Amino acid sequence: MQARQWPLQPRPRDLMKQTRHWFYTAVSLTAAFFSLLYLAGALWIPAKAELAQWLIERNWQEALEGNASTRPWPWADTRAVGVLSVPNLGIRQIILEGNSGRNLAFGPVMNNGGTGDDLVISGHRDTHFRFLKDLGTGDQLTIQTKDGTRYYQVVTTEVVNSRKSELVIEPGTKRISLVTCYPFDAPMAGGPLRYVVTALPAGG
Amino acid sequence: MDSATASPLFLIDGMKLKPPVKTESPIPGHPLKWQDRALLALSALLLLLLIFRMETAAAQEGQWGLEFQSDGASQHSLAINTQMQVNITGLVARISVDQVFRNNGRGWSEAIYRFPLPDGAAVDRMTVQVGSRVLVGEIQEKEDARRRYQQAKSSGKVATLLEQQRANQFETRLANIGPDEKITISISFLSRVDYRDGRFSLRIPMTFTPRWDMSAPAIENGFYNETSPAPDSVSATARNDHYLSLNIDLRTGLKLASLESRYHDVDIHPSLNGYNIYLADPDTRSDRVFELNWTPDFGEVPESTLMTFDDGDAIYALLMLAPPLAEAISRQSREVVFIVDTSGSMEGISLIQAKAALRLGLAYLAEGDRFNLIHFNSDSHPLFQQSMPVYSSYLLEAEAFINGLEANGGTNMAPALDMALNLPPQAGLLRQVIFITDGSVGNEGELLLQIGEDLNGARLFTVSIGSAPNAWFMRKAAEVGRGSHTRIGQIDEVEESMSRLWTRIQTPAIQNICVDWGMDAEYYPEIVPDLYAGEPLWLYARLPFPPVDVTLCGELEGRPWEQSGRILPGAGNENLATLWARSKIEALEDSRIFGENPGYIRETVTDIALDFGLLTPYTSMVAVDRTPSRPSGEALNGEEIPNLLPAGSSASTTTFSQTATGWVAQLILSFITLLVATGMLLLSPASRKEHSGGASSPMATSASSP
Repeated sequence: MQARQWPLQPRPRDLMKQTRHWFYTAVSLTAAFFSLLYLAGALWIPAKAELAQWLIERNWQEALEGNASTRPWPWADTRAVGVLSVPNLGIRQIILEGNSGRNLAFGPVMNNGGTGDDLVISGHRDTHFRFLKDLGTGDQLTIQTKDGTRYYQVVTTEVVNSRKSELVIEPGTKRISLVTCYPFDAPMAGGPLRYVVTALPAGG
Repeated sequence: MDSATASPLFLIDGMKLKPPVKTESPIPGHPLKWQDRALLALSALLLLLLIFRMETAAAQEGQWGLEFQSDGASQHSLAINTQMQVNITGLVARISVDQVFRNNGRGWSEAIYRFPLPDGAAVDRMTVQVGSRVLVGEIQEKEDARRRYQQAKSSGKVATLLEQQRANQFETRLANIGPDEKITISISFLSRVDYRDGRFSLRIPMTFTPRWDMSAPAIENGFYNETSPAPDSVSATARNDHYLSLNIDLRTGLKLASLESRYHDVDIHPSLNGYNIYLADPDTRSDRVFELNWTPDFGEVPESTLMTFDDGDAIYALLMLAPPLAEAISRQSREVVFIVDTSGSMEGISLIQAKAALRLGLAYLAEGDRFNLIHFNSDSHPLFQQSMPVYSSYLLEAEAFINGLEANGGTNMAPALDMALNLPPQAGLLRQVIFITDGSVGNEGELLLQIGEDLNGARLFTVSIGSAPNAWFMRKAAEVGRGSHTRIGQIDEVEESMSRLWTRIQTPAIQNICVDWGMDAEYYPEIVPDLYAGEPLWLYARLPFPPVDVTLCGELEGRPWEQSGRILPGAGNENLATLWARSKIEALEDSRIFGENPGYIRETVTDIALDFGLLTPYTSMVAVDRTPSRPSGEALNGEEIPNLLPAGSSASTTTFSQTATGWVAQLILSFITLLVATGMLLLSPASRKEHSGGASSPMATSASSP
C-alpha cells in the first residue's frame, strides 16, 4: 500500500469501487425517499377517511337546512346524502352521493343516488366499513336522509363473488344493503369477494 | 495493491474471477465479506420489494373487469343453461336464445332473469316448452300481459312473461316450476349485421343474470327462524353462474378472407353454404360480449343495393347505401377540436385510454389542418382561444396539456360542447368535433337538443371509453351531430379504433343525401346521415308498389353526387317487415328527445308493436299454459317474498364497487422498504470508512481514501 503519485487521478480499480459506492448510496437513498413517500401515502388514506367526514359533516348540516346544492369542498364531485348510524357499535357516518373510487375514499357511498326505497351503500372494509364484521343478525341500524329517519334490522349477512353476481335494485322494496370487500383482514385490495349485510325495516 | 499499472485486460480478469476480488480488501483486518454479502442481499430484497409493489399496483388496476370465474355457489337450486343459435344470412342475423331452467328444489318456484340484447334488437318470438307441451308467446299491451301473468301465476299455471325494461335490457319471469321440472324458454330476435370498412361484424352481449332463486329452501341455510323471519332471498345479491353454448350458422354466399371471434375461442367448420362456428369452451365465462368479424375476399367497390319483400299489403325494402372508397376521394383539410372528459368518473384506466386516443389523434393531423383541445369536468378549459395550425410548437403545447390531464370534479358537458361548436370559425375548413367521454350523463335529452341547435355545419364524432359507456347516448349524439360513434372498450383497441375513425373523417363525406324511390315511401331514418368512406348506411322503407329504380343524390365537396341502386328482386324475406317496424319505433322513441308528446308516442308504438308482434317498452310477450300444474294445496314459494314490482317502475342491477384501500399492506410494505434502504445505507462502503454518515459526499470519500 503506497501513496499514489497522482492522487487526483484515481486508479481504475478505485474508480470501480467509487462507482459502486455511488451506486449503492444512490439506490438506498432513492429507495428510502420513495418508501417515505409511500408510507405517507398509506397513512394519508385512513387520515383522509377521517378528515373528510369532518368536512362532510358541515355539508350535511347545510343539506339538512335545505341548502341541498352545496358541496363539501369546492371541487368535490359528491355531496352528503344521509347519515348511517349503528347505535350498538357507536357508529355514525355521513353517506356520500355517487359510487366512485374517489368518493369511497371520503366516506361510504350511496350506489343509487339515495332515491327510492331499495338502498345500497358501499364502503371500504379497511376504513369506514370495518365495523360491518361486528354487525350481526338482529342488529339495529338507522338511515337519516332529508326525508327523515328510517329504522332497519339486519336480517342476513353473506359473502358473494362480485365477478359472478350483481346487486338488484327493486324500487318497491324497502331494504338496505351494506357492501364491503371481504375478507376483512386481507392485506391486499382487489379481491373478488364482497360482504353484503341486508337489513329490512324494523318494527314495521 | 500493485495494480497502478494494471492493463485493461487485467481489470476485466479481475472482475470476472473471484480470487483477485477476494484479495482486494483495502484495509487489513477489516473483513468486508459479510457486509458486501449483506449489501447484495439487501439490494436483491429491494428489487423484490419493488417488483412486488408493481405487481400489486397492476392487480389493482385490473379490478374493474369481470374477469374469471371461481367456485360455483352451491346453494342454488334453480339451474340454468343457455344455448344460443345464430343464423346469419346476408346482413341480418336471427338469434335464438334457449334457456333451460330446472328446479332442483322441493317447492314450486318463480324465477326472474334479466339479460341484455344487442342495441336495436327486434324481439318477436318466444316459445316455452314444459314437458312435452309447447306454449307460444303472444305480444300484448304491457299491463294486459302483466295481469294475465299474475292470474296464471296465482291459479297455478305455468306462465312466462317477457318484458323490455330499458333500451336493451330484458326480463323473463317464470311462474310455477314444479320440483325437479325442466322448462325451456326460447326467445328469438333479429339483429342487423354491422358492415364497416369492408368488414362485417356481429356483437352479442352474453351476460345473463339470474335475478334470484325463490325456491332456495331458506331453512336449510340456517337463516330462517322465528327471530329473523326472512328467507335468504331477501338479499339483493344475485348469482350468475351457468353454462352457455353458442352455435353460429354463417351463410354469406361469399368467399371469406378472414373470419374471427374477438374475445372468445371458437371452433370453425366449413359447411355447405358457409361456416359453422361454435364456442370452443361451452362453459366459457359469459360476462363479456361475443364479437364475430368476417371479411369477404373481394376488394371491389360495394354497390348500393335494394332488397325487397312483398307481404301482400305493402313492399318492405332494405336499401344499403354504399359509399365511394376512401382512396377514390381526395383528402380535405379541416379543423379538428378534441373534447375530453376529465370528470371524476374517468379516473384510472378510462383516462389512460382517453389520453392514448388524444395522442393518436394529434399524430394523424396533417399540414393544412387546424386543431384545438378542450378538457372539461365541472368547468371547461380550452388549450387555445382559437384553433391553431399543426406546427410543432403547438403540438408540444398540446402534448404538455394532455400529460397534465387529471380526472377530478363533476361532469358538465354542455359548456364544453358549446365552447367547441362556437370557437371562431376557420374559413374554408370543415369543423369536426371529436368528443371523448365515458358518457355518464343525466341530462341526455337536453344535450342532444343543444347539439342539434348549435351544430352549424360542424360534425360531431363521439368516442366512448371504458367498459360500460352509455352506448345509447353516444350513438344518438353522433347521429344528431351527423358524425359517427366509435367505441374503445380496452386499452389495446385504442389504436385500431382511432385509426378507423381517422380514415373515416379525413375524407369528405357525401352530405344532404336524398333518395328518390319513384313513389311515396315511408322510410327510416328520415334524416339520412352523411355517408362516410367505408361506412355504408341502411334505410328501411315501406313502399306501395315494387320499385322499378331507386336514385340517390347528394353533395360531395359542394358538387352534386348521384348513384343508382341495384335492385335485387325477391332477395328479402319477412324479416324486412319486422326490421322496418323496429326502425320506425326507434324513430318514434327518438322524437321524444325533441319534445314529441309521450302519450302519442306510446300509443303509436303500441299499435305498431301489436301489428308486427314486437317487444317494446309498452308491449310484452306472455305465454300461459291452459291447465294448472301446481296442485291447489301447495304454496308457490315466490309468494312469501316481497318481490312484486309496482306497476310502471322498473328494477335495475348494480355491480359491486371496489371496497378496500389496502392501506395496511401499503404501510407494511413501505416500512420494510424503508428498513432495507436504511440497512443498505449503513452497510454501504462509503459509510463504513467514515463513521460520520458519509453518505453526504461519497465521491470525495472514496477518491481520497487510500
